[in-house]
Amino acid sequence: MGKNVKRIQLPRRFSIDEVPGLFDEIKGVQKDTPLEIDFRDMADFDSSSIAFFNYLKKNYPHLTFTNVQPELKKILSLFSIGKDTGDPSDSRVSMAERLQAVGGKVIKFEEILKGFLVLLADEISYTFQYLLKRRGVYPGEIFNQIYFMGYNSFPIVSVIVFLIGVTISITSAEQLRDFGADIYLADLVGFGMVRELVPLMTGIILAGKVGASITAEISSMKVLEEVDALKTMGLIPEKFLMVPRLIAISLVIPLLVVLADLIGIFGGVLVAYIVSGIPPDLFFREMFTVVGLSDFFIGLMKTLVFGWIVVISSGFKGFSVERGAVGVGIATTESVVLSISLIIASDCVFALILY
Amino acid sequence: MKEIVGVKNLHVGYGDYVVLKDLNFAINLEEITVIVGKSGCGKSTVLKSLIGLLPPISGEIFFRGEKMDYLSETSLQTLYKQIGVLYQNSALLNSLTLYENIALPIKMRHPDLPAAIEREMVNTRLSQVGLLENRDKFPAELSGGMKKRAALARAIILDPAIIFCDEPSSGLDPITAGGLDELMLNLKEFFGLTFVVVTHELRSIEKIADNVLVLDNGGLHYFGPYRDLFTLKDRFIDTFFLKDINDDYKRTKI
Repeated sequence: MGKNVKRIQLPRRFSIDEVPGLFDEIKGVQKDTPLEIDFRDMADFDSSSIAFFNYLKKNYPHLTFTNVQPELKKILSLFSIGKDTGDPSDSRVSMAERLQAVGGKVIKFEEILKGFLVLLADEISYTFQYLLKRRGVYPGEIFNQIYFMGYNSFPIVSVIVFLIGVTISITSAEQLRDFGADIYLADLVGFGMVRELVPLMTGIILAGKVGASITAEISSMKVLEEVDALKTMGLIPEKFLMVPRLIAISLVIPLLVVLADLIGIFGGVLVAYIVSGIPPDLFFREMFTVVGLSDFFIGLMKTLVFGWIVVISSGFKGFSVERGAVGVGIATTESVVLSISLIIASDCVFALILY
Repeated sequence: MKEIVGVKNLHVGYGDYVVLKDLNFAINLEEITVIVGKSGCGKSTVLKSLIGLLPPISGEIFFRGEKMDYLSETSLQTLYKQIGVLYQNSALLNSLTLYENIALPIKMRHPDLPAAIEREMVNTRLSQVGLLENRDKFPAELSGGMKKRAALARAIILDPAIIFCDEPSSGLDPITAGGLDELMLNLKEFFGLTFVVVTHELRSIEKIADNVLVLDNGGLHYFGPYRDLFTLKDRFIDTFFLKDINDDYKRTKI
């Protein structure tokens, strides 16, 4: 004997307010129960009611619609999806996906490192090629970059190192006074600025100011097919875009370092005179007993390495951009983070080697 | 007709993902070949392979009878010396003026060329594309149509044998797009240039195409003369080109 037919008479108005009640009524019905939906009285409906009918069609194989008006039949066919596409994916990230992402990042690290080292090697080779043959770089671009990097970076580097000079002088002066060793403020400021703080701060400021702009420019060029255009013109984009920047930063950094050293020490001298009453001539006489020309060159060398790190990291992130405009923003942020991380890591290596 | 590009059993795609397979066609000198197909069918992917930006998954591409080696910088450089590319976004360098953009290939490939000759070459091309008055402007100051014309001037500055154009009419009004088509026809007629154009602008196809390469369903659907296209009575082609299936196909290429 067959199962009893479950009949449902639709109300005159069947819209989004009536759907939940009817849905609850249907929920208790077994899937294999013959289900008959009577449309006789229904005059008013909306898209939620059609969604409800589609749901029934997918879930109740023994479903029949009776007294369906021809107009409604047409509308039902218009709203039919055709095939079941399953549940939509959840935009929230599950724990498994998070763990997978962490694993993926670890695996991808090897690829990134390889890419970075290949670019580094290429850039060294392209720079020497350019210096020997003077080909492959747009004429005048090196001077443009020198102007851009020096002009943009000098004011902010000056302000920051001056403030750092002032800050370390003020904080150290108090401590040294307790031991009656005020004069050693000159050694502390001079040595600290020349060997450590000027290179580090210059590197970090370059990462934020020059590096971010290099990445933004190169990644935008890649997104807008300008990098492809350079390739199909027979140029090497990694040479055309990076070599002028590498040469420019190598020429700008010595100037920046000299000026930053002078301004940073000036901040220290100022505080030493005002707070500890150390006259400038005494300050410099004491400072030069500790700080020599070799310290200046070590500071300069460190800053040069940090500058190259900034340019290579920024170029690397710029050339590896994906996903259009969103990717440009991501690449720019990542390039600053990468540059600063590498600067600090290499500073640590310098400290281990040089002290 | 002399063949300039030959494609044999070409499979193209990204990584292991094959977008189009088993492509076989040849592009002849002094003809305009149009690549058409639905959005996402792989038109630009084929173009990228032809211009050396995307190594094929398998198959061979011949340029002037020489097999292209995508791993060889020498082979790619040989290709780049003989082609010009007009990109969908024009791809002019925003930091350079219009003049400098068009002079870029000369400056980089022939740095020893006297400045006066370079100026003549650039001004001639700028004049041909109707942009001589705007030569000191930056790309950001130009309209979409002007950028496309400028990019075409840059693509032809070193007299390449073949120009590849990726959706040259996209984002342009019909009049500007028509002007660009006229320019391509003139360059073909008067300078013997060969064009490969990716587009789905029907008006443009009707106007410029000598040959049509129709892509569909992951492969080559049709390759042959445009004038024969509607004698096939093919449902996909008729639908794509907005032809009534019962038309008697009286229309011929103008």
